[in-house]
Amino acid sequence: MYADFPADYFSSEICVPCGAQPACWPALLKIQRRLTGETIAVKVFAAFWMRLLAFTLLVMNAEIFLIERESPPKTGIGGDGVQSAGTLSPVYASPIQVKLVDLIPASLSGETNQDSEPFLAVQTANPQVMVASAFTPNPVSSSSNAPVYVSQDGGNSWVLNAITPVQRMTCDITHAMPTGENHPRGDLHAGTLACAASITLDESESNDVSSSSVMNVQSTRVNVDQPFVRALGFSNADHIYVGVNDFNQPNGRTATIDVSLDGGATYKSFSIESRNTAGQDGPSVRPAVAADNTVYAAFFGWRKFDGKTATSDVVVVRDDVGGTGPNPFQSLRDPSDKLPGRLVVKRTSIPWSNSPTLGQERIGSTLSITVDPNHSSTVYVGWADRGRKGDIYTLHVRRSTDRGLTWSKADLPHTTIRNATNIALAVANNGVVGLLYQQLSGGRWVTHIVQSHDGFVTVQDLILASAPANTPVQQFLPYLGDYDYLLSVGNEFRGVFSANNSPDLANFPQGVTYQRAANFSTKILNDGSGNPVPVSIDPFYFSVPVIP
Amino acid sequence: MKISSSFFAGILWTAMLAPSIAAFAQTQNDQAALAKQSSIVFSGTVSRLGATSFAGVPQSPNTIVVRVDSVLKKPPAISLKKGDNVTVELKDRSAFQQGTQATFYTEGWIFGSGVAVKELGHELNPGGGTLASGADAAESALVQAQKQISDQDLQNRIASSELVVIGRVTDVHRWTIPKSAASRYHTSEHSADWHEAILQIDSVLKGTKPKKSKMVVRFPLSRDVAWVNSPKFEKLQRGIFFLKKDQVSGDPRTSLGGYQVDVYTCLKPGDWLPLSDEARVRSLLKN
Repeated sequence: MYADFPADYFSSEICVPCGAQPACWPALLKIQRRLTGETIAVKVFAAFWMRLLAFTLLVMNAEIFLIERESPPKTGIGGDGVQSAGTLSPVYASPIQVKLVDLIPASLSGETNQDSEPFLAVQTANPQVMVASAFTPNPVSSSSNAPVYVSQDGGNSWVLNAITPVQRMTCDITHAMPTGENHPRGDLHAGTLACAASITLDESESNDVSSSSVMNVQSTRVNVDQPFVRALGFSNADHIYVGVNDFNQPNGRTATIDVSLDGGATYKSFSIESRNTAGQDGPSVRPAVAADNTVYAAFFGWRKFDGKTATSDVVVVRDDVGGTGPNPFQSLRDPSDKLPGRLVVKRTSIPWSNSPTLGQERIGSTLSITVDPNHSSTVYVGWADRGRKGDIYTLHVRRSTDRGLTWSKADLPHTTIRNATNIALAVANNGVVGLLYQQLSGGRWVTHIVQSHDGFVTVQDLILASAPANTPVQQFLPYLGDYDYLLSVGNEFRGVFSANNSPDLANFPQGVTYQRAANFSTKILNDGSGNPVPVSIDPFYFSVPVIP
Repeated sequence: MKISSSFFAGILWTAMLAPSIAAFAQTQNDQAALAKQSSIVFSGTVSRLGATSFAGVPQSPNTIVVRVDSVLKKPPAISLKKGDNVTVELKDRSAFQQGTQATFYTEGWIFGSGVAVKELGHELNPGGGTLASGADAAESALVQAQKQISDQDLQNRIASSELVVIGRVTDVHRWTIPKSAASRYHTSEHSADWHEAILQIDSVLKGTKPKKSKMVVRFPLSRDVAWVNSPKFEKLQRGIFFLKKDQVSGDPRTSLGGYQVDVYTCLKPGDWLPLSDEARVRSLLKN
């Protein structure tokens, strides 16, 4: 920590150049004067303690200053532009070390792509190794492979490596990197969609994400949507769970989990929908895995659909043995009909719009589920629906503490969030829950990371980014993404989101690091040779310490 | 006598120069082919062997660091300029030592704080003193290659099309999925939002003229990432259409003016061109 301060910070003279003039300085200087004439050893000893005292006072002073300057975000999470009614956790009093990095590398400073819909995988054994993705095309060739971002230094720097099995650019990609097979820079398990004449799902793996070897496709099929990969490391045989909306399933029961118990060598597909649908379920099918082999999955059970609104149940299924049995994901039944799949919310109204509706973003299927990694009885689910009359899209979070049998009857405190999307939930090792979301507020897209140790009764709410929502103009949909991502690693929440990349520090209240060429004084991007580059959407990586 | 001396001298010169001219032409063709394949072409000087220029690139005996002397071809998004250090993964390291000057024909590999590329080919700059000759040759090869690429692309597009027509869009409407086919259609964020353009054909450049010079072109209006680059049509739009029979929407026939007709699609960027390209298309059709 001390290494972050300049050498002269510890000098008693620091109060003059730093401009801070606390009333205690004259007294401190008096003490120092009294020491004149003492032996050198005593002087050194006294000087050390005096400087320590001075430093402590300085830090306290700085903290007071920071608390005032970084006062809790005024948008809160209670509503659009309304301050949260929740009390803030005392941990907010400490300066928070947030790492926020624009993923675009320096050598791609000229790029202007809409790098939306980001995702993140962290290697379990070595969290310094991470893979991120977005709608980023191969930067040099339309016939070469779509790339992923790779970091080997805990997210400080990222390179773009074209290793996915999809040509040019994926049109959906998620991934996970458990460590069961002893590959220092693997194993990355990915689900990708290639969109050509038909939409093709590839389930693939890489044993070394830094190599130039293209990922090995282990399973492929067409006519599916939105793969969402989670995994649990097992020696020589990672367990992989891919949520997909599989239109090949009979009777329109399309919510599906692909399960591999052998590191991806083979997959079996299981429909997790046990009720009649409106011809299909919603696009988002989200698994969540606990260390004890409990696997949950959430999906939207579409009961009616008229092209503009889905009348949908929010359904959670569970499997207690990692999907290893013959009929997995049937451990949880709803008391109303005794069928597998607990109905957390029944027949809610979810707007479906594949055109700009929330600002320049489309809406229709944002969903997240997370389980406490050490207490698999505690599970959170979050989604968006129409909310109250006049709302466009409203987020909700509910919790179960009995393995999904019963759920909070209403939204958890401070989690009914209007005009917001891209919900992502995660639970840290100490049970603290994290909530990432993006809210359209006052003409800006505001990205929040909220933490709570008591089910959102008290919260720490940080704004990571707040940037104009009307620029740049959308190149395609989704504008920011149909999802972003949050996970917990040790005592950090790590995640990714996409945002307007204007190099303006006012847009990033916690600070930001750009790899690409940018001038924060003129607020202009450049191509590395000084030529201006227009603003676009970039993916951002962040790390935030978990609150105690 | 004078004539015959000149004649023989001419033959002698021709005999001496012919192999060089042939070799020069071959070199030009090779360079053009390489340039066509390459996404990044630059001239530079080898500064380190078995090394890399930035973190995140796997180092091997085949990786070298090259200081860029001039950039001949690169995509606009890539930041690469004179004086930058580039990691090149060589096909064969034996031709290179520290100080070797060459033109590198490469494809992009890893992009981080610097650029790493994979060698597709190289042209050593003779004498090592000046880069001018090698770089100039590469530059002219690139100009030639660029023209070939666009003509070749167009030729490939023509070859893969079942029908190439010049026409005018007279109507655009959303395609109503027939009830019999409805079960095959699902809702996702990647749904195409199929629309139909009715095309009045002015002339057919390739293929058989459809009945009554009218046809249906089905196209995705969706701005989803999967479809955003497909041509979108508006009423009264004119141009050159490169068409294939519909194998994507799931229902390749429709009714037009009381007849059942084949539906066509043109889905890739470049499958529609403005009329200003007519002469070029006609000229390539003759080849």
